[in-house]
Order: sequence, then C-alpha cells, then structure tokens
Amino acid sequence: MAAKIEAKKVSKRFGAHVALAHFDVEIAPGEIFGLIGPNGAGKTTFLRILTGYWLPTEGDVYVDGDSVVEQRERVQAKLGYACEQPKLYMDHGVETFLRLMGQLRGLGGGDLSLAVERSIERFELQEVARRRIGVLSKGFQQRVSLAQALLHDPPLVVVDEPTVGLDPRQQLELRRILQGLGGSHTLLLCTHQLREAEACCDRVALLDRGKLLRTFSADELESAGSLEDLFLEQTQGRSDT
Amino acid sequence: MRRRIAALFMKELRSLFASPIAYVVLTAFVSLSAVYFFQHLISYNQLLFAFQSEGLATTDFDQGTVPLQINTLNELFMPFAGDLHLFLLAVIPLITMRVFAEERATGTDELLLTTPLRTWELALAKHATTYLFVMLLLGVSAIYPAVIISKSQLGMAHLGALYLGQLAYGVAIAAIGLACSSLTRSQVVAAIVAYAVPFILLDFAWLDPVLTESAAGILSGAAIQPHLDNFARGVLEFRHAVYFGGLTVLGFTVSVASLELVRAR
Amino acid sequence: MIFLAAAGLVMLLSGLASYYTTQQISAFAVANLVAGPLALVAAGVVQTRRVSGFSGALSRRVLLRQTALVGVVAAAVVVSNVLASGWTASLDLTADRQYTLADQTLGVCAQIGKLPEARRPSLLFFEDALIAKEVRLRIAGYEAHCPIETRTLREAQAPPEARPILSEFETTVIACLGSRCEAVGYPSEGNITNALLRLTRASTPVVYFMLGHGEVNLSSEADHGFSALAGALRDEGMDVRGILGPAREEVPADADVLIVAAPERDLLPDEIESIDAWLEAGGRMLALLEPETASNLVELLGRWGFDLPPGVVADERVSPLLVDATPLSLLLNQFNGWHPITRKLSHRHMVLLPSARPVFAARKPMPDDRLEALLFTHKTAWLERDPAAARSGHGAGPDPAGPRGVPLPLAAAGRYPREHGEARIVVIGDADFASNRLLHTLYNPDLLLNSVLWLAEDEEQIALRPKGPTPDQDPLTIQQTLAYFYFLAFALPEALLLLGIHAWYRQRG
Repeated sequence: MAAKIEAKKVSKRFGAHVALAHFDVEIAPGEIFGLIGPNGAGKTTFLRILTGYWLPTEGDVYVDGDSVVEQRERVQAKLGYACEQPKLYMDHGVETFLRLMGQLRGLGGGDLSLAVERSIERFELQEVARRRIGVLSKGFQQRVSLAQALLHDPPLVVVDEPTVGLDPRQQLELRRILQGLGGSHTLLLCTHQLREAEACCDRVALLDRGKLLRTFSADELESAGSLEDLFLEQTQGRSDT
Repeated sequence: MRRRIAALFMKELRSLFASPIAYVVLTAFVSLSAVYFFQHLISYNQLLFAFQSEGLATTDFDQGTVPLQINTLNELFMPFAGDLHLFLLAVIPLITMRVFAEERATGTDELLLTTPLRTWELALAKHATTYLFVMLLLGVSAIYPAVIISKSQLGMAHLGALYLGQLAYGVAIAAIGLACSSLTRSQVVAAIVAYAVPFILLDFAWLDPVLTESAAGILSGAAIQPHLDNFARGVLEFRHAVYFGGLTVLGFTVSVASLELVRAR
Repeated sequence: MIFLAAAGLVMLLSGLASYYTTQQISAFAVANLVAGPLALVAAGVVQTRRVSGFSGALSRRVLLRQTALVGVVAAAVVVSNVLASGWTASLDLTADRQYTLADQTLGVCAQIGKLPEARRPSLLFFEDALIAKEVRLRIAGYEAHCPIETRTLREAQAPPEARPILSEFETTVIACLGSRCEAVGYPSEGNITNALLRLTRASTPVVYFMLGHGEVNLSSEADHGFSALAGALRDEGMDVRGILGPAREEVPADADVLIVAAPERDLLPDEIESIDAWLEAGGRMLALLEPETASNLVELLGRWGFDLPPGVVADERVSPLLVDATPLSLLLNQFNGWHPITRKLSHRHMVLLPSARPVFAARKPMPDDRLEALLFTHKTAWLERDPAAARSGHGAGPDPAGPRGVPLPLAAAGRYPREHGEARIVVIGDADFASNRLLHTLYNPDLLLNSVLWLAEDEEQIALRPKGPTPDQDPLTIQQTLAYFYFLAFALPEALLLLGIHAWYRQRG
C-alpha cells in the first residue's frame, strides 16, 4: 500500500537562484521521512516538485517507479498533499470541500460519502462539518487540510509545516495523527520544528541552501542526543536558523 | 474525467455565487438593460403616436398608418442590441478578473494542480462556469424583449438570433477576460487588460487612412464590430460564428497554456 | 516594465477613445496611437527577456510547447476566419425570411445563369451609403445565389458609367450591364431583382390599358388610384401604354396584352367588335371587373365562355387585416394549383380582395378551348345580389335556398386556340385589389402580375415576388409596459441585490 520514493539529482533554479541542487534521496515504503532545514533551504521546493506542482530544472522523482515529470497524473493519483498554511476554499463548507477534493481524486458515489464521513470522524471535524472553512480556527483549518490529503487513503502523504500556528495541545494531537500514518503510508513531512521531526520521523534529511547536508536515521538521531545540536552543527554560520 | 470536470464546475459556481460581485453585476446588467430597453420603447411608442395622431397616412388600413421603416426591429431591437454589446463589455471583465487570478493570489491553485487533474479540465470548468454566467445575464435581460416579441410579429426565432449573437460575443469577451486573468495574480491588472483588449479589437477603421485597401479589409475582418450587426437583424451568418468561436478557443488555449507555464516556472 | 506597459495601454486607449468619440484622427489621437503601441512593444521585448527565467531543458520545453500550441491555435483561428470570410452560409431567422431570396429572384437568377457572361448584369454596392449596413445581408444573398458580379465599393470608387447616377441620386445599389446602369431606388429585394430583370429582358412586352370609359386612373397616386399598378408592370420590364378606346378602331398591332380595368360605361360597339376581332386573331386580354360593372364588356366575356352574375361575394369570415373590415373584404387562400398563374400560390399564401364578383368559367366556345377557375372563396361565402345594400351593411345575408357550402370562383382564365394564334383571357372579379392601397398587400401583386405574364406568354417570369417586412407596431399598452418595467427594472434587481447582500454577509462570517 505504502509508496516508495526515489529522487535522482533533482535541481530547481529560478534564473540565477538555485533553490535545490542535485538532491538525491530514497524513501522506503511506510517510512516517515522528515525534511528539515532553515527557511529557503529548498524543502518546499522539493515537495512542490514531488507533488507535480513544479517541474524540476534537472533530475526526476519516482514514486513507485512512476516519473513525476513524465507520468505526473499517475504520481498525483498516489499522493495526498497538505500545503504549508492551509490553502483551502474559504467560501466552502467543510463537508462540501472534502467532497470536492474527493471527486477531484476520482472518488464518487458511496465511496466518496464513506471517505468523507471517515475523514470527518478521524480528524474530529463533526461539529464544524457544515460550517464555512473561512470562519474556522487555524487548528481546524489545518485539520481540514490534512483530512483532504488523506481522504482517498493515498500510499504517499506529503505534509508541509503542519503545526505552524497551532497551540501546543493541537500540535500534540496532530503529531499523534501523523505518527499513526507510518507503516501503512509513506509520509514525507517537511518542517522546521525539530522536535516535531524528532518525535515523528524514522529518518530525517537536513537541507541548507538547496543542498542535502546529511541524512539521519532514527538510531543516529537517538545516539546524537538532540537533533537541535546536529542542526546547529551542520548549518553553522547561517543567521536565519 | 467527467466527474472531475463536473465537480470543478460546481465548485466554480459555488465560488461565483458566494461572492457578492456576481449579484452586483447581475443587478447592474438587468437594471441597465431594462432601463435602456424601456427608453427605446418609450421613444418608439412616441413615434408611433406622432404618426398615428397627425394622420400622416391613411387610417383605414394598418399597413399604411406608419412608415415601414419605423418598426420594432429598427426602433427597439437594433439600438437595444447595441446597448447590450456595451453592457456586456462593461460587466464581463468584473466577473472574469477573479477566476484564475484569485486562485493564484491565494495559492489555492497549488491545491488543484497537485491533484490528478489535467490543466485543460481545470480551464474548461472555469470557462464553462463563466459562460453559464454570461448566459444567465443574457437570459434575465431577455425577459422583457421576449414579452414584446411574443406580442409583435418579429418572431421568437428572430430574438433567438439576436441573443445567440450576444451570447457568441459575450462568451468571446469572457474568454478574453479569462485568458487575461490566467496570466496574472492581480485581479486589477486582469480587469484592466480584459477591458483593453476588446476595446482595441472593437474596430480598426481608425487605421484606414494609413493602410492599403486590402490591409484595411483584413484588419476589418479581425475587428469585433463588423461581426456584430447581422445577428440583431435576425440572420445567423456562420462566418461571424467562426470569428467569435475562434476568439473563444484562443482565449481558452491561452488559459490552458498559462496554467502549464505555472508548473514550468 | 509594468509602468511602460501601463503607460502604453493608457496612451493607446486614450487615442482610441478620442477617435471613437470624435470620429476624427486628430493630432492627439495620432500621438497616442503611435506612442502607445510603441511603449507596449518595448514592454513586450523586456518581458520576453524574462523568459530566460524558465531555467532548464524541461521548463523550456514546456514553454516552447505551450507557445507553439497558442501559436498554432491562433494560426488556425486566422485561417478558419479567412476561409469563412468567403463562406456565405447563413440562417435567416426573421419572421418573413427577409434575407432569403424570393422565388422570383431565384427565377431571375436562374435565367441570368443561362446568359453568356457578357450579357450578365452586375451589382455595385456602395458600402459608405447611409443605409449600407441594412443592405449588406441582402447583397450577400445575391452574391451567394446569383451568377452575377457583385462589387462592394465606396462611392469615390464608382466606375465612370455609374457616376452620372451617383451625382443625381442618393443610392446604395446600382445595377449595370455594360455601360448601361440603373439606380435601384430603395434597395429592397424586389427593386434589385426588378432592376436586374429590366437589364436582362430580351423582349419588352407591350401592355395597353383601355381608357375613356371610366376605367381605373393610372396616373393617380391616391389610395384609390392605380399608379402603383403601372409602376409594378414597368418594374417587371414591361412597356405600359394607354389607348383611348373611342378614338381608335383597332387594338394596336404591337399590343401583347390589353388590360380593361373596371370600365364604368359601355364600350362603343366598334370597340367591342375590334377587341373581339383582335382576340379571334390571337389577342390577349386581362379584364378586371368590379361588382357594379355592368358594361357590355360582360357580354363580350360571356361570348368567350365566362359567366359573370351580378352581385358581390360576402363571407362570414371577416378579414382581420382591415380596420374597417366587412363581410365583403375577402381574405382568400384557395387557388387552382394546376394553372400556371396560380401554381406557385398555395394555402399558405393569401390575397385580399376588398369586394369581388364571382367569375365562372362556364362553357367552352369551341371544343378545344380550355377555361379554368383560378381563385376561390371559402365555403362560408355567399353571393349578395345587391352590392350597394351589402356595402351599406344591409345585405340580404346568405340565401337559405342558395348553394351554400360551395366555394365561389372569383377569377378565371381561358385559352382559345384559333386559326391565327392562341387567344388568352383572364378575368378577375375585382379591380380594387390592384389599387395603390392594396397592390402591395400579401400576394395581390403576384396574382395580378403573374396573370399579365401568362397572357404575354412570358411564363418563365411567373414567380412569387419578395415581400417587404410585415409591419409590427405598438405591441404593449402603457399599463402592460409599466407593469413589466416595474418587475424587471426594480423588483428583479432588488431581489438580486438582496441576494448579493446575503452573500456578502455570509462572506464576512
């Protein structure tokens, strides 16, 4: 069920600016993989390439062997994506929005209703199901964003900065949900909250200025003590950490 | 595929009618068209009254009482068709400006473009919704003329021709507006360009003094104005349909291409 | 760059606005219309450089593919428009099919098609004339269906042979054959077709009107006059002349058709004799009779097989077309579908006869003669013996013992093969239907002109003529207008605005 990801020499340039340079990574099925790094490190750029929103300047990403450049729609059918700062239709009701996203991902009829119902339950959105997204709190909006990403039960879930703007209790709740996804789904989590990466991820890749600095396994993370120390050590001299 | 397009179509419709701008545009269009139609009707009735009361012709036979050129077509529908062209040009960019630009400005295009959706499906849904709105505008404005037509001898088919012409024109203007909206994230820029392009395309007669006859002829074929009149006269000329259809297809293609270019940045 | 583009756009729009409002290319307009596009082009060039922002082969490939796609579609649109510009196919949705060429025009065009190229006329259409826009569609119809050359040009470009006409008349269309040109008055289809017909007619039938016995007045332009009838015959390319009956003893030798229209007094015996002799020699006559006509013409026609009982035909079904309709004004649509004169008229075509007498094709003077009725009343008609009483509204009404339920014939035609040629006579039981007031009503002109063409043996020209638009006026009462206006200009916008406020309120949350 879970998907395997292979990124091969993925680069993205905007004119002279290099957002991502020769990024190589392999993520095993069912793995929870974290992307960490300071702002502008290239984390979101990689996610946008992986999800087919942007084309890479060079290289390619393969999801279960399907190229995101050549077989974009096949790749997109396999993933659910929750953007950084939930990008939702604020004039839609929660349930209406989830139904729309389900339909866009090919669900219909009984399957769609069931999936929407399950998602609402899973993310505890019952009380706001009929309310407009625009009037919901940030936490609920983040949940709606995750709910739409998981609606069709995709083998690959891509989540960008999921806990930004949430209070500590909401952050804990969300982490619990994300941890629960491991094993059955491949989860790619992009964050600059190191504790979040520590708490959830099996493996973490550290990026800086578009380059992959290092990949840490769970064991390495454990033996190193604190991810924070590792991060500071690897990104020495950067003021925006 | 059909399900995806239908879902997007419904989403666009919801977004359109969730914003007050659609209602304001509808209100403005309906009010303006009703007031102007009424004005033409008053002038027409006054003309009829003048002819009939001054005994300008014989009184014992209907046909002789008023000159033939004074009739509902010339006095009512031809000037009204001209008004509709102007009103459509005035209101359609207000609707089209937000359709693509708003998604880009708020970032919701990322949500859509990361689902297994083809760009043409997205563009089609957005274009179709806008065209439906143009139909709605025209449909509401047609109530009054339809009442008059049903009581005169012009015939519903004639009204149909007039409104098909308006629809072809309105849809083409909308397609231009949508293409403009797809090229920018600023709704204001989208609206300004959507006003400017049809205004520039309206007529090229001003270039006649500096052009050769054949060049002027070619440019005249590219202008909007020469393609408009005959619909109101009750005749559907296929070459005019080809012209407006061409503008629509071109606008649609530009929308699709600009969505693809978002990915390729 | 954005400033440059915006400035260019503003300049271009200002230039255009000044042109549209003043319809003049002023110095202001020229300056803006030159500077604006230049600024836009400059901005475009700068923007093109930004294309280098599409880094990498993949992005450039997409850019190239999408630019090519737009280019190909734009080219396809241009090509399809160029191809379609010569495509005259159209759908005429006007109630009267005003822009669909009439039967007569198509017939004339078919005949022109048989002529050698050099003898085909051409149409000059002046696109800068005042009503050119109204006429363009009609000209397009001729372009599509008529094997003639149609030239769209400005008055300044008129060929030398057309210039004298332009200096004399304000005209939109001129028909020419070689150096011979004719101005088409109001460019209706009828007038254009008649101009073509006149230019291409190989022979000119000569039509004589008998005068001097109180017949119809061909020079009167009043409603009851018949100047329109003479004009219509001339429009068909005929030579219309009058003969003063008592002053002549013989029908002129060049007469193709003799029209005797509603004489109030008896013809002189010599005249009757000469007409009779002329008919025996293969002459052709159209007799238009009024119910009161009791001249010796009726006797003459009796000898040629027509039975013309005195009286006027009335019908319960009163014509809705006349304001002062009485049972005597007959709206008729029953024609003889076999006779050349009425073959093209069906139950969908109507003629309006304000008062008519019956015309029976009663007997054949010779065994080989053929007489046929052409036009019939409905079954609800009856014969009023006293026309004056019937006119004043005191008619006797249907005779209970009379033959009701039988259509009465109101026109008939006869062919009489004789030693020196075939005589032809058409008798119509009404003359007023061809008066100025009614000649151009419904299919009245077709009944009359087709009769004359049949008599002149010009049967190829028999056709249904183009009709003017049906008048449609004053559709609503003031009260109705106000009611609709309140609904559409106030109630509906108000409801829409309330919905808009509701949407705004919801959006605010």
